[in-house]
Amino acid sequence: MIAMDIDGRRVVTEEGRTLLDAAREAGIDIPTLCHHEALEPFGGCRLCVVEAAPADSRGPAELVISCLAPARDGLVVRTASERVKEARRTVLDLLLARCPTSDVIRRLAAEHGVPRTSFPESTDGSKCILCMLCERVCAKIGAHAIGGAGKSRGKRIAAPFDLAAEDCIGCLACARICPTGHIGYEETDDERKIWGRTFRMVKCEVTGRPLMTEEQRSFEAKRAGLPEDWFTKCPESKRRETAETIAKAFEEVR
Amino acid sequence: MSEPAIVIDAKRVSDLLDRLPAGEASALPEALRAAQAAFRHVPREVAAAVARRLSVPASRVFGLATFHGEFSLFPKGEVVLKVCTGAACHGRGAPTLLDELLSKLGIASGGTTKDLKFTVETTNCVGACAMAPVVSVNGELRGNAEPSAMAKELLGGRS
Repeated sequence: MIAMDIDGRRVVTEEGRTLLDAAREAGIDIPTLCHHEALEPFGGCRLCVVEAAPADSRGPAELVISCLAPARDGLVVRTASERVKEARRTVLDLLLARCPTSDVIRRLAAEHGVPRTSFPESTDGSKCILCMLCERVCAKIGAHAIGGAGKSRGKRIAAPFDLAAEDCIGCLACARICPTGHIGYEETDDERKIWGRTFRMVKCEVTGRPLMTEEQRSFEAKRAGLPEDWFTKCPESKRRETAETIAKAFEEVR
Repeated sequence: MSEPAIVIDAKRVSDLLDRLPAGEASALPEALRAAQAAFRHVPREVAAAVARRLSVPASRVFGLATFHGEFSLFPKGEVVLKVCTGAACHGRGAPTLLDELLSKLGIASGGTTKDLKFTVETTNCVGACAMAPVVSVNGELRGNAEPSAMAKELLGGRS
């Protein structure tokens, strides 16, 4: 058991948790952009910066990245001190310079007292903050279809050789996890277009609504060791079926 | 005259692949280095074959190939000239030297001539300031000369 002081409150957590985990468990909000519960902490956006000091420290507290810093017994953590706010403003100032067209970044920056960037604005129109959530979620799923390419100022997210992403299964995880909406796609009931590919949709056999792409169905079935035609119904249809089965069973009992 | 091309023959590709340990992701940098050496770039089909051989996602191969300056996605010239732009070289005429090379070859910095003979790039300080202005010629350092004369010599009479 680990007991810490976060913003003057006693917060108890377990070994292996991060400062961000502990704070959020206690209902203390710390802003993040590159963090996702389903993925390993990354420490890319630096927005979750907090101040932390051991209880017995006579020196100044350190600025640490809360999504990476492990919870330790006796830590005194400040998530909204002047120093933290200033550091966060700098992070947002830089993000705003990188993505001046992103509504998400603009709103976040404004909320933290950065109405405009003090750095030269990027003019490429990109909303990508290089949080790598898309690459990471794609790898977690096991598709590994897209990833970081280039380096430094030229770094970007791309499909291999900037061609249609051959390994993409059209699951949209990258587009949905993207905090700024940088990854675009098009969708109709019959097909989905993303990363230069066009996918045909599998329809729910009950409702006829699009369920997933054909590639995604094969991929998921193979991964789970299920027959190719396992996924045939949308979750809503499945729930209804289950409910009907239960209702019928009850009637029979009665 | 037809466009020169670097031939990516199946034999050379299979030789390259055969030397790689199958399924060994850590061999990726070495594989790309071998491809770059054999074809003066990392051809797309070779990158794809390397990915299959090493069981590495194509996205990772592309990431590495675009990250390191030693890899190129487009064929480089037979002679790669890297003009040092360090302070000493700058002071001893590197900008003049670079300009002359580029204008004589009719390319931009980082570019390659159509006949694939020359590539001209810039590099940060190579640490040989005493012989400024320095040019790396396929990895060998040359310098200690008047910029215009050097440009002429490097291009070997090509006007």
